[in-house]
Amino acid sequence: MIVKKLIEKIEGEAELNFSMHKGSVEDVRISFGFYRGIEEILVNKSPRDALVITPRVCGICNHAHLLAAVGALENGYENAGIAVILSNKARYIREFTLACELIQNHIKWFYMTILPQLERLTGEEGGENHALKASYLSTTITKALAIFAGQWPHSSYAVPGGVTCDPTYVDVMQATALIDETIRFFEQVIIGMEFERYLQIDSVTQLHEVQGDFGNTLHLLGTHGMAHTGQSHDRFIVFGEGLGMQSGKSIATTVSRVEVRYVKEWPQKGSTAKAVAYKDRIYETGPLARAMVNKAPIVKSLHKRYKDGLLTRIFARVHESTALLSHAKHLLQKLDLNEPSCTLESRLLADTFEGVGVVEAARGSLIHKTRVEAKKITNYEIIVPTQWNLSDGTEQDRGVAVEAMCGTRSIEEASFVFRSFDVCSVCTTQ
Amino acid sequence: MKRGGKPKLLWLQSITCNGNTHSFLNHPDLFSLLSHFELLYHPVLEAEYTLQDILEGHVDCDILVLEGAFREKGVAKGGVEISSVIEYYAKQAAHIITAGTCATFGGIFKQYDPEHITGFCFDIEEKTTRHKQYADKLISLPGCPIHPKWLGFVLMMIAQKRPIAKDTLHRPLELYAPTVHTGCARNEYFEWKVDTEGFGLKEGCLFYELGCQGPYTHGSCNKILWNDVSSKTVSGTPCFGCTEPDFPKTTLFETKTNMGIPAAMPLGIPRRAYLTVTGVVKSFKIKRFEERLIEYDR
Repeated sequence: MIVKKLIEKIEGEAELNFSMHKGSVEDVRISFGFYRGIEEILVNKSPRDALVITPRVCGICNHAHLLAAVGALENGYENAGIAVILSNKARYIREFTLACELIQNHIKWFYMTILPQLERLTGEEGGENHALKASYLSTTITKALAIFAGQWPHSSYAVPGGVTCDPTYVDVMQATALIDETIRFFEQVIIGMEFERYLQIDSVTQLHEVQGDFGNTLHLLGTHGMAHTGQSHDRFIVFGEGLGMQSGKSIATTVSRVEVRYVKEWPQKGSTAKAVAYKDRIYETGPLARAMVNKAPIVKSLHKRYKDGLLTRIFARVHESTALLSHAKHLLQKLDLNEPSCTLESRLLADTFEGVGVVEAARGSLIHKTRVEAKKITNYEIIVPTQWNLSDGTEQDRGVAVEAMCGTRSIEEASFVFRSFDVCSVCTTQ
Repeated sequence: MKRGGKPKLLWLQSITCNGNTHSFLNHPDLFSLLSHFELLYHPVLEAEYTLQDILEGHVDCDILVLEGAFREKGVAKGGVEISSVIEYYAKQAAHIITAGTCATFGGIFKQYDPEHITGFCFDIEEKTTRHKQYADKLISLPGCPIHPKWLGFVLMMIAQKRPIAKDTLHRPLELYAPTVHTGCARNEYFEWKVDTEGFGLKEGCLFYELGCQGPYTHGSCNKILWNDVSSKTVSGTPCFGCTEPDFPKTTLFETKTNMGIPAAMPLGIPRRAYLTVTGVVKSFKIKRFEERLIEYDR
């Protein structure tokens, strides 16, 4: 039996066709909406125009696109023989603003996608306005971002050689205050415990200390038998570096190195989104992947017990926000404003080059590739995290989310598993 | 609008990045603002109806907020052409707000298929066939993305039944009569024609070399700041003219010049006037403008 379902409120929409067998999900086909052609729009434009155009791929992870785009340009300049050496100040500011965007993403997803759906699924609706919390946190943390980047969404403040802003210590103090306010919000509302104490938690046996909305969510997942639900291939990949994290891939307990050149995309039948694999294998990307590759103790401890199921996946996403907050605060403390913001002369441009930019976006690794001839873009490729997680798969393997949904006991449960990947429909149909 | 009831608000998307949706979520008084309306549907906020209900035409709305560029055929949700859904609600709404440059003029996504993708009532600056039908209730709020407070202002004006003065492109004058240049923290440098020496400096104007379109772009980005703290030009990024019908132009980080003079003049300024003023101020050397404002290692 095939059942169609329109999934909404996931950064656009997706249509899922479920094949049901004896009351459980046997297979799922995922399709997305209208293809918008950003890669084609970029052709014949000036290379730096990508810094303005590519953020418009996505309203919620635009900043990651900006940083991937500037990374591709800088890599291309290097390939063309122009040395690009960023000041620490520029590197820290870029990392800071990226961290802010990730936190914004994770917490919006937690309050606007996970909590309402989980309450509905378990019949434990508390009637709280979760979106109010999401909006407050998002407004606070993107304000910290905008102090440096001018605005969010759709800033273009990162340029080859650095950043366009020239902050003062007044700005840095304002940003620090906003990070502190976000930490306070975590303590009082999300984790219900002291932030520093939370960061010390490294084993499942200590998780009962977590209260607040996050604690309630973990409790709901556990008491409704969903902790083990939604397991997938248990293979993870991370290409971006920074934010205190390394790249690599993780299979079973082994972590090894990765190179972007082994990433291959191919078109999928009946879909506007391309599939992507690493050496012909399908991997999960995103916060859980970053935690596994970087061996975050508490996530490893959860994984030992619940594998790559709903509980571990949801935990990893919210948990990453706390590590990012801590990292972001540290970056602000290290800023030396006497360093230059931008080390390249604005008129220094390479004529012909190819470059690759890689960034860890909220949902996982984001790759931009640009090819420039005679000062014009001749080819631009964008590989987004959702392509990794939501493809149809290969002949050997189902896609990551499809595998996770198979075997679930109802369409509602399967849809919830689907949402646990923090699906971005707009990125996928770039 | 039923007597005594709150206006019913419906937010629909077509070809979009969701940027306007997320920008609006950063409105600092979002929920007190929304308390003046009955929210029928929104792309990410919990609302009264599901998208399926909306697609099936089960509800009636007073205010229709449109996000995303328009295409008559080929953009479907749940098997229904979104253009027909938009037109269905546009007919019954008392107010149509095109939120963002895509919904207003076509924006970035128009460039993928210029022939078929447009704004709802404008195709760049040209009126589409729908303009005639909807002109009396149309409010254009371009910007890529929309500024949350600009939308908040318009919604509250509607809730309070107050008239909104508009220009020929249906943009509220309160928000779009000023240029982005108005209130820019670099105005002194513009007045004295002092160019910035590159990216990453708080000193100098971005109009002469780095492509800033602030002096001829409609919008109050530097009066009503972004995220309540900053703006592109304040943070050293040129204005890219994202509220204008022809956004995005090309070579956005360079100023197009004729014989060393910016090709596009500040809004409404005759070339001769600009050249005269420039000639005068450039004949003076002002020491203060050649120095850094703050040097930390002194």
